Amino acid sequence: MALQEKYAELIVAAKNGGIIDLQVREQNNVLYVDGSTSSGELKDSLWDVYNKIDPDFRAGDLMLNIDASAAAGTKAKVTTQSSNLNIRKGPGTDQEVVGKAAHGETVTVISRANELWSQVRTDSGKEGYCYSQYLTQI
Amino acid sequence: MITALGISALSFNGCKGGNKDKQVPDTIVTDTSTAASEPVVVSGDEELNPKVKDVTKDFPSVTATVSGGEITLTGTISRDRLPTLMQSLSALHSKKINNQLTITK
Repeated sequence: MALQEKYAELIVAAKNGGIIDLQVREQNNVLYVDGSTSSGELKDSLWDVYNKIDPDFRAGDLMLNIDASAAAGTKAKVTTQSSNLNIRKGPGTDQEVVGKAAHGETVTVISRANELWSQVRTDSGKEGYCYSQYLTQI
Repeated sequence: MITALGISALSFNGCKGGNKDKQVPDTIVTDTSTAASEPVVVSGDEELNPKVKDVTKDFPSVTATVSGGEITLTGTISRDRLPTLMQSLSALHSKKINNQLTITK
């Protein structure tokens, strides 16, 4: 209960923001907050609240897992810092690069392979797996 | 064979006589409370290791070690890149993240 009080502002913001399937659980002195949203801005704002309550995330008592990556069947924009995004044969950096998507390019998300990787198709028809963090839902 | 039949018949009788046996309602109560509040499932180290490696690939000055379902971060990072790293690692279902990074401006 103590951790839910410490992070009360965050929990309230997640509820009010409309986080989907919000779960708040405390286990072995760690608070686990899970859920999803189609809004990258909401996710970032929750992380700002976390950073305010626990500056630089030092306490190790919160696992904030808000999934805001593009859902299967949607279009997503490649939001790398500036470089091309590698498209790989399978979900992992050990997998062969089979193509690239340019920064700012639009791709179709076919499926979510796991927490990190999405299966995508580029407009030129190339299919493979890329790192979900660099995809922003349109 | 006969012994085995005897045991199964005995335990069957035990179930039928459940209302006389205090252990039966106890078991039911435990099951109900488990269903009401699902425990947090933590990934094993074997599952975490390759994913942590994928995440930290873009952060060459960060060293991440995985042990007992916990991720421990050492090395250096700039403050503006820290949330990106923490967000990605927080999606992996680890038990916790021990942030021992030295933060540079």
